[in-house]
Amino acid sequence: MSTWRSLPAIAQDLLVLGGWLVPPALALVLGLRRYRTGALVGALLRRHAGVALIFVVLIAVATGLGLALGVQERGIRAGSAGAADRFDLLITAPGNDTGALLAAVYLQPASLPLLPGELFQRISDDPAVAMAAPLAFGDSVGPAPMVGTTAEFVRHLTGIEPADRTSDQPSPGDASPLEEGRLFQGVHEGVVGAAVTLALGQRVSPSHGVGDAVGGAHDHLKIELVGRLPRTGTPWDDAVIVPVETVWLAHGLGDGHAAGANGAIGPPFDPVRMPGVPAVVVRAESLGAHYTLRERYTNARSMAFFPAEVLTRLYRVLGDVRRLMTLLSGITQVLVVIAIGVALSILLRGFSRRFAMLRALGAPRRFVFALVWCYATILLLAGALAGIGVGVLSARWLAERIAATSGVHVPVSLSLSDLLTPAMLAGLSVLLATLPAFRLARRPIVADLRG
Amino acid sequence: MRSSSASDAPPAARSTVSDPALVPPGALVVRDLCVRATSGRVLLEVGALDIAHGEFVVLAGPSGAGKSTLLFALAGLQAPQAGSIRWGGTEIATLGEAARARFRAERVGLVFQDFLLFDELPALDNAALTGSWRAHAAAATLRRRAAELLAWLGLDAHDTRPVSTLSGGERQRVAVARALAMDPQILLADEPTASLDREAADRLVLTLRRIIDERRRTVVVVSHDPALIEAADRTVRLVDGRPCGVAP
Repeated sequence: MSTWRSLPAIAQDLLVLGGWLVPPALALVLGLRRYRTGALVGALLRRHAGVALIFVVLIAVATGLGLALGVQERGIRAGSAGAADRFDLLITAPGNDTGALLAAVYLQPASLPLLPGELFQRISDDPAVAMAAPLAFGDSVGPAPMVGTTAEFVRHLTGIEPADRTSDQPSPGDASPLEEGRLFQGVHEGVVGAAVTLALGQRVSPSHGVGDAVGGAHDHLKIELVGRLPRTGTPWDDAVIVPVETVWLAHGLGDGHAAGANGAIGPPFDPVRMPGVPAVVVRAESLGAHYTLRERYTNARSMAFFPAEVLTRLYRVLGDVRRLMTLLSGITQVLVVIAIGVALSILLRGFSRRFAMLRALGAPRRFVFALVWCYATILLLAGALAGIGVGVLSARWLAERIAATSGVHVPVSLSLSDLLTPAMLAGLSVLLATLPAFRLARRPIVADLRG
Repeated sequence: MRSSSASDAPPAARSTVSDPALVPPGALVVRDLCVRATSGRVLLEVGALDIAHGEFVVLAGPSGAGKSTLLFALAGLQAPQAGSIRWGGTEIATLGEAARARFRAERVGLVFQDFLLFDELPALDNAALTGSWRAHAAAATLRRRAAELLAWLGLDAHDTRPVSTLSGGERQRVAVARALAMDPQILLADEPTASLDREAADRLVLTLRRIIDERRRTVVVVSHDPALIEAADRTVRLVDGRPCGVAP
């Protein structure tokens, strides 16, 4: 047991996989070569090709669903975690951290209380804070949610940091964070996510609300789209991103700057004139400082949390659901295996005269056993193999649906551990296939010959 | 053709009973044979039946008379409750299942009423079917012999079409080739002409006659077919599971 535990996970997976698949595969090769059952197995498969195909499809679906569930669940975890990757620490008004996370990271419509400007200023001036970006949402441009923030956060979101972190304005040495165009430089400019279909140069007016909750239009405000972000695989790919001042202006709350700022965007803001923001994304100067900041800003006035913490809680729920679905899928698979076993027995009974003829001609029982077992094993292994394809394809299809509805890129990748369940199912089925093979090899010859 | 009682056997067969080692492999001696159904009902009772090596015998009689039961017992497919079935020097009534299977594989060719071929396979694969469970060398020899037999029976050994596309007569000849492919001393056939039209049946009768004349094999056939009865050396009539030996 200790040797087993000392093995790397991949070695354990390989051994388990081999344990389930190698013995039946070897037995199959032996059965086909030692007794040359290949031609006869081929004849049996062709005899009821339609039924054989239905068997394979049934096994493939039963196997594939279980596999897709695992792949999809892992993909959702990776995708959602990836989407939250750039949101190191979120600070919001006290309340529901899950709702705040969904609103800030996944841009889901939510009504969040505002953090006062004075508190934002304190966060921004905190020596442990490297970046404090306000997020303002609640409006939309067509189907795309509109988010107000700073240019610095847009660069942070795309993973390209400015060379000079002390300034919100790009310096000549900075790489462009955009796929196309440039960053916004005034309150009447905005950039779009990679998946937004609006064209650059287009002038748009935001509407109040998002999705089904769209209310009146802010027709007085025209925003020119000047840049397009590279694909991030997050819901922000579907968003229109504007300076946070634009959102405030749209709601008639001023621009958050001191008088005489002359339309400047980005920090510093005037804490008195700043209307407040629903969320602030904070990046600390060091990894450890994030924990200090979380503690510092979790109080009666604000709530600081790591998105990963909330996601872990959600994953626990997701994990419970997955366990339930895995259980249901497992029960379904067992039922399918039983159903297939019964159907296989019925199908094989249809061949009983042929098997009786073989034995009448002198075929030893073990030959008939090998023939029946090889036939059943080929059906079962073909179904299990096809199931892997079905699983991957259905996981991909689901991932595309999720990406289309939420904007979260769900990576679909097959790992060795995903193959363990299909391998176990195939191994068990192949073992079960010995039962009809044994029974048919021992049936009374004369009774079967007489039909 | 002549009709005979069970005891009216050729002297060659009767004389060898006392010295089994000298009995030709295709000679049959049956004594006090009794086959019962699982219910205990007697299906077959044969006091004595001798068939000489190279003889062509038809088992005739009404339905339910026990013809097929006798044929299956002679093939070692139906274990008797009592009595002796001796083919050459081999007593098969007391053999175990595996030994009887070996006996059939080496000594007996079987032909069935409805051919019982693998319809999806071509003629040669069907004719060489019994090579599937033999050693490679034996299987190769058997396949060569099967090809020769198909040609001897007027079929194309290289025809790759599945046998389901062949006529009934052709399929039955494939079945005969399969039965003869391992060069057995004994050919047992159960109603081999029943599924054939007259022309194909007559051709099969000629084929069976050729097997006797050219290959000196013992042929025992269950049949009602007058043409087969006419072609046989002898007809054994069965009524209610007992040979009655009365000509129709």
